Amino acid sequence: MKRAERIALYGQGKEYRRRLLADVVRDRWLFLLLLPGFVYFILFKYVPMWGVVISFENYVPYDGVFGSQWVGLKWFRYFFSNKAWTRYLSNTLILSLLNIVFYFPAPIILALLLNEVRSVKYKKLVQTFLYVPHFISIVIVVSITLVMFSSGGIVYRLTEQLLGHPIKYMTDPNLFRGMIIGQTIWKETGWGTIIFLAALTNVDTQLYEAAMVDGAGRLRRLWHITLPAIRSTIVLMLILRMGSVLDTGYDHLILMANSLNRKASQTLDVFVYQQGLQQAQYSYASAVGLMKSVVSIILVVSSNKIAHLMGEEGLY
Amino acid sequence: MKKLLALVLAAIMALSVMSFAGAEAAEEPFVLSVMLPDFYTDVEFVREGNPLLDYIQEQTGVKLDIQLQANSSYGDILATTLATPESMPNLISFPGRDNTFVQNVNAFWDLTPYVFDTATYPWLANEAGLNIHKATAVNGKVYGVFRSRAFPRAGIYYRSDIAAKVGITKEPETIEELTALAEALAGYSEDTYALNMVGNYTAGTINVITVAMGAPNTWGVDENGNVYPAHESPAYLEGLKWLRHLYEIGGIDPNFVTVTSSDWDNIERTGKAFMRFDCNDNAHRQQEWFEKNEGVTEQIFEELIGLKKADGSITCWPQNAGYAGLVVVTKTVKEEDLPKVMKFLDWCNSYDGQMLLNAGLENVTYWIWADGTRHVYPEDVAGDSEEMVAKQKEYTDRNVTLQGSINQLTMGVPGDLTSSKYPTASSPLRDEYAANNIEFAKYAVLNPCATLTSETYTAFGSTLDTLLSDAAVQFISCVIDEDELKSVWEQWSEEGGEQIKAEYTAAYQAANAQ
Repeated sequence: MKRAERIALYGQGKEYRRRLLADVVRDRWLFLLLLPGFVYFILFKYVPMWGVVISFENYVPYDGVFGSQWVGLKWFRYFFSNKAWTRYLSNTLILSLLNIVFYFPAPIILALLLNEVRSVKYKKLVQTFLYVPHFISIVIVVSITLVMFSSGGIVYRLTEQLLGHPIKYMTDPNLFRGMIIGQTIWKETGWGTIIFLAALTNVDTQLYEAAMVDGAGRLRRLWHITLPAIRSTIVLMLILRMGSVLDTGYDHLILMANSLNRKASQTLDVFVYQQGLQQAQYSYASAVGLMKSVVSIILVVSSNKIAHLMGEEGLY
Repeated sequence: MKKLLALVLAAIMALSVMSFAGAEAAEEPFVLSVMLPDFYTDVEFVREGNPLLDYIQEQTGVKLDIQLQANSSYGDILATTLATPESMPNLISFPGRDNTFVQNVNAFWDLTPYVFDTATYPWLANEAGLNIHKATAVNGKVYGVFRSRAFPRAGIYYRSDIAAKVGITKEPETIEELTALAEALAGYSEDTYALNMVGNYTAGTINVITVAMGAPNTWGVDENGNVYPAHESPAYLEGLKWLRHLYEIGGIDPNFVTVTSSDWDNIERTGKAFMRFDCNDNAHRQQEWFEKNEGVTEQIFEELIGLKKADGSITCWPQNAGYAGLVVVTKTVKEEDLPKVMKFLDWCNSYDGQMLLNAGLENVTYWIWADGTRHVYPEDVAGDSEEMVAKQKEYTDRNVTLQGSINQLTMGVPGDLTSSKYPTASSPLRDEYAANNIEFAKYAVLNPCATLTSETYTAFGSTLDTLLSDAAVQFISCVIDEDELKSVWEQWSEEGGEQIKAEYTAAYQAANAQ
């Protein structure tokens, strides 16, 4: 909005302030509603952000943020001067990519399948069962996996009998990522359908009827009506996902890792956990964490840009 | 009538206010908060009206506020506790003199003036502990009271009854005899194994055998005063090959990598494996478990520490450097209160204090029997009958609720005094354990870098250590061969190992030049 237009609309100087005040008084309840959320973000998201200064210090908790020695970019140099960082970054990126390719579409496909179920009662029942795994702790999921997939477990024995040789699910580094993605899909797919099912309820049923009259089969209707209708939701979810795509989590990976498959489990999150919590290297860990966040912001901004270019609304 | 009632009520109020004021006027106890690892997370520790805590207060004037944190996640909790210095407990039990400790010494009081003051603190500054105090120092200052541990403590123990069944009745004295024993145990049956190994703690197993072969303990120093890592010694590879050979002939569970140390004891108790390289006090614990649960009456375990190499020399890996962990006094304690706190820690090291922390109180958590030995239940419930065993369990269960994990505050600077007056019932294995620890202490190989600092090690050490131990496990379980193992060692050098070597060498030479 140009300055002249703005002045014409809201006035200038005293006049502007008077109108603003009048607006605020008129919408006081709306502002009041806004307040808790506003305070929350300031208090819990913006204030702690100043903590990143410890990435540039040799932070010792007792000396405090202001008392610790300033070391500039030392920790960043440390990280990049070491050959190991490429392994951490590539492990993170590979796992993230697999997550996007295999896990991200899973809830969409499942939601579309559920949408085709005719009996409402059956659909509700299936949905309930699908949500259960989400509430199971990852520790339990890993324990169940261990029982089923390690030697002597039912899956291990079954594959051994079918193939004639065993597959070392729990110790082969090449299978590590597959196991992680598999567990994520098992645990979270059902829960992930919620948002897509909600989007699906907005599809105008008249469109289906019209398409049926025109002789469109189920697949055609899916392709030409359902998918375009939820496309913006999918894009939105994908962009949101890009923000956390580098978050591989550390608990799941640490639980699944052992001496034989560890090289596939070493991601940036695991590194931050090991350095920051287990070794009390707060500064070093925050430096690596900060770097990860910068990459995440770049991913979100660029994917939002791409969405705009594709003619979607995007995140903002 | 109303007036009278009002008067009475007013009188009651006034009285209660007065009595409240009276309580306040009485001497406030000196409260010390202390954070300890909890080994009994499933038991509710009694805090109010606990006779043990009351006794401590009576003797020292200190009211302990004990904060127990699960041992399994103690390291993580410690790091977060230290991150908020203003709310740290007054005393913290540290699991070791590790990176976390060294990084945070600013948050603890320098105890150097106290731990060498023999006149004022006879127990804390006891002669027996002076050298260890020096060994725990950071930049020449003592920041914590060490918690002493039996030394060298680690070794080899095995099922002697199974060994006899496969034809070996003599306790091994040389590495060759150990090999023969391991091979024989491996051949005992199809679904049992010779050596009990677990995936998440392989350091002990590997260290016991590699140091016995002649490798240094983690770091070694050559004749020119240069520091080198254990894996650069040929004996280290010999040790790994020994384990690999055992793995190949079926002497180690092919699936051991996914087994965790929480199952370690069970593997032996269910008769799945017969030998373990670990802390040798497990030998008598396992023996006692078999006696109690399996009705075993014979001695079925044997333990040993030193093994002769081909040239007749003996080297062994000590599980610790004479201490494991420290108790620190954080700066949440006022400086003027420090002597009072040190007096309390001094008492904890006395006979009285050690007895209280380790055994509790007589006729409350322990009983002296007619023969002068100390037990965790009274003599009148002794016996093997079902009824008596149930009663004994009642006593031991109740003891745990009173004692919890307060024994984690034991420092034992003057050594363990608890058995001096009323010894606990002994057994041949317990005696052998104690005798072995004394006999083989002189053969223990110490880590020359334990008190040195390397900046690169502080930053990358844990990652690099994992790299080495993973490679060792992969080599043992035949996933990689010798060339691949050596390429991992190469990778270790490139990712910071060379720097650590240089930094340790400089620190070592500086320390020895003084």
